[in-house]
Amino acid sequence: MTGVQPTTELSGRYQRAFTVAVVVLVAGWHLAGGGGQLLHNRADYASFAFQCALWLVMAVAIAVGSVVVLRGPLDWRLAWAVALIALVASTASAAASPAGQMLAVSWAWGSAGWTGVLALHRRRMTELVWFLAAEAAAIFAVQAWDGLNRMDLAAFLALLAWSTGAQIAVAAAVKALDSAANRAAIAARSEDAARERAATAEIIQAARQARWLALQENTVPLVAELAAGTADPGDPQLRVRCAIQAARLRRLMAEGDELPGSLVHELHASADVAELRGVAVEIETAGTLPQVPGPARRVITDAAIAILASARSQARITLATVAAGIAVSFVADTGSVVLLPAADQGVAIEHQQDGDMLWAEARWNNR
Amino acid sequence: MEQQVTVAIIEDHPVVTEGVASWIRSDSEQRVLLVHTGRDLTGLDGESRPPAEVVILDLELSGELVTAQIPGLVAVGYRVVAFSGHSDPAIVMETLDSGAHAYVSKEEGSEHLVEAVLAAAADRPYVTRSQARAMLADQRPGRPELSQQELQALLLWFQGMSKASVGRRMSISENTVRQYISRARAKYAATGRTAPSKDALLARAIEDGVIKPGEIMPYTSFARAAANRPSLGGPGQ
Repeated sequence: MTGVQPTTELSGRYQRAFTVAVVVLVAGWHLAGGGGQLLHNRADYASFAFQCALWLVMAVAIAVGSVVVLRGPLDWRLAWAVALIALVASTASAAASPAGQMLAVSWAWGSAGWTGVLALHRRRMTELVWFLAAEAAAIFAVQAWDGLNRMDLAAFLALLAWSTGAQIAVAAAVKALDSAANRAAIAARSEDAARERAATAEIIQAARQARWLALQENTVPLVAELAAGTADPGDPQLRVRCAIQAARLRRLMAEGDELPGSLVHELHASADVAELRGVAVEIETAGTLPQVPGPARRVITDAAIAILASARSQARITLATVAAGIAVSFVADTGSVVLLPAADQGVAIEHQQDGDMLWAEARWNNR
Repeated sequence: MEQQVTVAIIEDHPVVTEGVASWIRSDSEQRVLLVHTGRDLTGLDGESRPPAEVVILDLELSGELVTAQIPGLVAVGYRVVAFSGHSDPAIVMETLDSGAHAYVSKEEGSEHLVEAVLAAAADRPYVTRSQARAMLADQRPGRPELSQQELQALLLWFQGMSKASVGRRMSISENTVRQYISRARAKYAATGRTAPSKDALLARAIEDGVIKPGEIMPYTSFARAAANRPSLGGPGQ
């Protein structure tokens, strides 16, 4: 999760930077290029005031377009509204210019094209091409109305090539940069995912190693003895050893499941094997039990495994909250004394044998 | 031989009723006599109600908990032994607070039900392991204060030791173990809502020397002690 968020942000940040660059370019062009030409040719216009008003309309369209594209996901209707206002303003400006000199004094064609780039640069390239074509067609129509001559046509084609070419080039560059940023973000994201997978694999590997070591110590020699025929399956002692190892295997599996009631869960797992042997195991809890740390749980379940492996027909396991921790007790018909684990990890173990019945209590103290 | 204790079984599952009846029949001294079985509580508070001393009550009849009906049964003079598969400590405490004498889980039935009925008929405390569990788990603000010895005896009993083993573990006699457990139970009878069954249990505990009136005084009001049990020898008498 933490790996994914920044890469998405990263690609978003790049895209915003490209948009800011386009906004600066378009606003700069309209101010310096369009505005400069307007002032420079002010004497040539039929009505300078009308041209200024159109320049302001275009400036407002650019301002609105900038806000809209910087805000994020673009509404296509709004984008096209901005573009069409620029188109109408530039056509009006051309129509109001003196015939024959229109291209020499026009400030509006360039600004309208750049406004289109601003409004449409996040949309499909063909939309921008259609817009620029419509713009060129409108200018051409005004020229034709005025009476087209060869000089005008040459100037028109030169301007078309220069201005439209630059606008398409900028739009294409933004598209290319966008897709590069996207690819970079995706690559970064998959790198993060790969790193997370590697870390998880390492943890699983360590856990497997620990389980494998635990098995090497006791279970493997036992299985080897059985396989080699040196151990006698009829020997009750051997059967107890087998029961203990089977319960430990079961517990190893249960230890992987970290649950709020881990201890109860692990005791159930330890009891499973005894139940398969026909021992009736009851597990009861009294009160809200505290969470016992892993190493202490292991001492307690070791005691459970030792007792359950010796139980003949019944065992009762209880867990009760006591003043400073938890008392886990075992009552089982073991018949004889069972070797219990030594006190460790804050767990104290006591026991009492009464005839056939063994009572043992493992108390874990959290202080 | 003492007179037989008469009992009614209220249980919605006929198989369970039959099982309980068979435990009653198999008592070697035939101390309990089954006089009525019913699948619900109808007729138990009327004029012609069954003449049983003790009602063995399944806490869930036709899918509904009937702990709220216990005070009514107790009010007309029945002693109630709850017999249920619901061993949730909160339900056990609610059952005892409502005036039931004892709670026996279905797992404990064969071993404890007849004994619990006999104890109830004599107004003597009877504490099953599931009841001990509920008392150990009890964290309600109004719970009685149990001594360390009482708590230890309850804990070992809940853990599954026989009372004789508990005695050896605590270096006391088996009889003293019974005293501790009964005293804890009697302290519970002195708390919560009032019920004639609880007063009777308390009176018997005092008579038997299980508990001294002074030991329950902090947990019950003087007014109530004076009004309800003038003959129990409260302080000042």
